[in-house]
Formats: sequence, structure tokens, C-alpha cells
Amino acid sequence: MSVAVSVAVSDDGLLVPPGDAPLVVEIDGHYAWSLTPARDGRPVAGGVLVPWPGVLRPHLRGRGRVRVTDAAGVAVLYDDEVGLGSGEGTLAVVDAAGHRLSVDKVGHLARSFAATDEGVRDEILAGTGRAIDDLREHAGVAAYLNYGALLGAVREGRMLAHDSDTDLCYLSEHTSPADIVLESYRITRAMRARGWRVLRMSGGDVKLLLPLSDGRACHIDVFSAFHVDGTFYQLGNRSGRLPREAIVPFSTITLHGHEFPAPRDPEAMLAFLYGPHWRTPDPSFRYADPPAGVRRLDGWLRGFRTEMGRWTELHDGPRRAAVPRGPSSFAQWVEPQLGSLPVVDIGTGTGRDAIWFASSGRPVTALDYSRGALGVARRRVRRHGVAVEVDQLILGELRSTLAHGTRLARAPHHLYARHLVGCLDPAALDQLWLLARMALRPGGGRLFLELAVGLPGPGDGLVRRTPVEVVRRGIEASGGVVERLTTGPGEDMFDLPDPAVCRIRAAWPAAAPHPKETS
Amino acid sequence: MTTTDLAQRARRAHRRLREHAGLRERVRVLEAEVQENRQLNRRIAELTDVVAELLIPLEARDQDRVDEVLASFRTGL
Repeated sequence: MSVAVSVAVSDDGLLVPPGDAPLVVEIDGHYAWSLTPARDGRPVAGGVLVPWPGVLRPHLRGRGRVRVTDAAGVAVLYDDEVGLGSGEGTLAVVDAAGHRLSVDKVGHLARSFAATDEGVRDEILAGTGRAIDDLREHAGVAAYLNYGALLGAVREGRMLAHDSDTDLCYLSEHTSPADIVLESYRITRAMRARGWRVLRMSGGDVKLLLPLSDGRACHIDVFSAFHVDGTFYQLGNRSGRLPREAIVPFSTITLHGHEFPAPRDPEAMLAFLYGPHWRTPDPSFRYADPPAGVRRLDGWLRGFRTEMGRWTELHDGPRRAAVPRGPSSFAQWVEPQLGSLPVVDIGTGTGRDAIWFASSGRPVTALDYSRGALGVARRRVRRHGVAVEVDQLILGELRSTLAHGTRLARAPHHLYARHLVGCLDPAALDQLWLLARMALRPGGGRLFLELAVGLPGPGDGLVRRTPVEVVRRGIEASGGVVERLTTGPGEDMFDLPDPAVCRIRAAWPAAAPHPKETS
Repeated sequence: MTTTDLAQRARRAHRRLREHAGLRERVRVLEAEVQENRQLNRRIAELTDVVAELLIPLEARDQDRVDEVLASFRTGL
């Protein structure tokens, strides 16, 4: 006996019939998300339950119309008004300005081209063209249109409705990952000099931020593509077989009246990216990247911004309010030991301690690697009217560490870092000691650290526990001397009680010219 | 099959299991070491970038030029 499976919508997710054909979900008459039952759900009585994606959940409150169809929008499986969450208000997935949002192919909530008016779409395409020109003329690389924009142009003659950005790739001549990273650094420098805002995502890809007239910034990804030992790699995470001849010399493709360079054989590129069925629309498509290729790309190019996204989430989200605004007890413990020297607060977060140190007129620099944190700290510094220089330091990047270390080595000052050590991986921790050795060279200054001690465990959040001996060994191996070390009950980054917090004061005596050799 | 035979077979199986577990651990360690080596690529690139961008003005001992190059290096990262 077969049981007819119907679709049901609840706070838990969608109960849908089993199958591997993608389904499209509209909320309040607008595309919101697409899913594949077999991939995204789990079997339950009555069908397959596909949970709502986490990014959608904050928007799922109120009453509104939910529609579930097949990918082509022809077969309607569900179309009804539902109440979700408290059931009050209008159910709609919109940003603060009322713009419609949808879940993109990598799981982020973004505005899609379907929700972008024609004028803005034209700005995005003109800006993409300008990026290609600047990359060619000033950064020395020939970029081609790729991913969603290429797929839309070839398959449908227009931008894909559910896409939210444009992607460019350039085929590097280099075959050594180190040279590919170096080339990407040169590209960043050249594009910044042309006035672009550039975000580095890995050693081989950056985002150009294109400001739009509706107040948003469109992200134009610039990915490197290269061959190593016969395998073709293309960032994000693609790897496999695709010869150079499929890419160069370029062909030309037209998208909404704009001409773009495209791979010589666009269909071969699309089959490489989306598989042999790329001609059939599948809004819920996800990449199936070979794990060996992902491992290589991770090892060669990544590692310095693994948790940056989570910190941005904290600083841009409601949890930031849980970080107290006044000075920490550690700042108050440190302050009487400072004399008149300036302070550099490393991993400043919201800037709470930096602002307090500066409130007495002391020169203060506040450093953090999270752009979310830097934004919060800058706003608060302005509001308090204190003289705090706010800047980015990425301890996972040697260049960033050396550049700050060189500048700080010119004059005496203290380094202050509260709950920073527990945020660093071993490589970044080593570079904290390198920075301290460089920055405290002029003498007189100290490094003040507070950290949660013990063995790291699965219960740790963004700030992990660190064995105190790891810290002591790191300081001593880089030529430092631990002058004070106390361990006892203290507070975490939210000032909640923590049973084992260590406070350290260390110096790097000028008389120790060489760091100790570690065996 | 005697009890002695059974005991011998159990011992052999136990040894094989131990060897497999040992091999799995060696593969895990080797994979970690390979990944560690891959990470040198970014470090080499970073060092090369610093040297190529900063060493020439330092060699010229032109302090104004050094200040200018350091400032533009930091903003260009």
C-alpha cells in the first residue's frame, strides 16, 4: 500500500516527499531557499524532514504565505498561509532596509539578482567590467567571468535569478603555490592603489567590494586558477582535470548588454564546475569537491582567518551586548604598573579596555584581526572622544606581524592582551612572541597577558584554554622573561566567573640578543 | 579445533588488529606532517613579499623613503 506524502511546514522545517529532485521555497511571494530532500533531510514518519537553514531561522516569525515547487516552478507541492514562531507580524525574509534576502549556494543569506532592480544590476555588471580592466592594466592578470554569471550567460542569456554576486578568475602562469600567493599579494596592492576596497579570503583569492547606489556593497570575488602537477585548481575549492587550452585564449560572452572575457570553451568550464548536467537548472546545487584537492588548497593557501567569520558574527550580532562596556578587572590590575608609557591593546575586541586606558590621556593603539571588532572599536572610540589608533593586526599573517613589529620597535610602550592567547593557533601564538620580541626591543615596556588556563576541551568557545607551560615556554624561547605569574579564579571575556585564569607580566630584556634554542 | 589452536588464532588476530591500529596512527601523523609542509608555501610567499618590498629602501638608508614604504606596505596588505 503506498501512502501519499504531502508537504507540511512547521518551525522544525519542511516535511517533504523523499527524492533527489531539488525543490524551491518561496516565502511571502519571494524566492528564499532551495533544497534537495535526499541530501538535506532525514527520513521521518510521513516523508523527509528538511530543517530550516540556521541563517533563515531568525526571520521565521509571523504569518505569511509559503510556497514549495519543483525547480522549474511548474509543479506546486504546497501553497498556503502559515504561522511560524510567535505567529505575530508578517512572515518575510528581509534585511533591516526591507530588501528581500535568500539563501545562496554556499549557505549565506544574501540579496539575489531576482531581488535586485535593473539599474543596480547594471551597476554590478559595469563594476565587474571595471574590475577586469583594472586587473589587466594595473595588476597584470587577465581575468575571465566564471561561476554563476558564466552559467547564467551561457545557459539562459541573463544573470541567474538566485545568484548574489559576480565571480572572476585568472589563470596563473605559476605552478608553485608560494608564487601563486605572492602574485595574489601583488594584485591586492595594485587594486588598493586603484581605490578598490579589498578583503583577503585566502592566499589565492580576494573580494573586491563594489559600493552600489542602494547602499549595499556587491562582492566581486577574484579567484586564482592554476595547474600543479597536471591537476587544475580553481578557488573556491575546485580541483580536477581541465587543460589550459579550455581557458585561453579567451572567448567573449555578453550579459545584459555587457561584454566579458570568458573561458575559451565555456561549456567545458561549466561541466568542470557543475558536472555533466549543468544545462538543467538546479538552484539547490552544491559542489562535490575532491577532498584531496580541498586538503591541498587548505594547506597551501589558508589558515590565517579560520575563525574570522565567527568573530564578525559575535561583533555584528546580539551577543556583543553581553560584553561589558567598562574596564575589565585585568585592565585595573595592569594600570598601576604602566607608568607613563603608551599601551598597545592586542585583540582589543570592542575596545573596552583600550578606551579606558586612553581616558586618562595615555596614548593607546587598539589592534584586532576581526573587521567586525575594528568597526565596533572605531565607533566607540569616536563616541568617547579618546585618542585611540585602531588598526588591523593579523597574527596568523607573518607580513602583518612584521609590519606592526617594525613600527612598534621605534619607541617604548607596553603590550596588553586579555584573552587573546586562547584565540590563537600554535602558528599565530608563535607570531605573538615574535611581535613581543620586536615591539619591546626599545626597553621599558612589558607584555601583560590574561588567559584561561588548562587543557583545551570540546566545551571551549571562541576562546580556548591554554596550558600555562605552553605560554611560559613560548615567552622564554623567544628571549622573554616571565616576571610575574599568578593563577586563580577570574573572569572570561564576558566577565563571567572562570575558575582558572592566569595573569602574566613578561619583559624582553635588551641584554638578551639571541632567543634560546629549543631542543 | 583444540583450545590451544583457538587461543593461537585469537592471539594472531589480536596482533593483526594492533598492527592495523598502528598503521592508522602512522597515516594520521604523516597526513598532519604533509599539511605542515604545505603551509610553508604561504610563509615563503610572505617572507619574499616583505623582502622584495622593503629591503631596497632599507639598503638605501633613506629614512623618509623607508617611512613611506613601510606605511604603504601596511596599507597594502
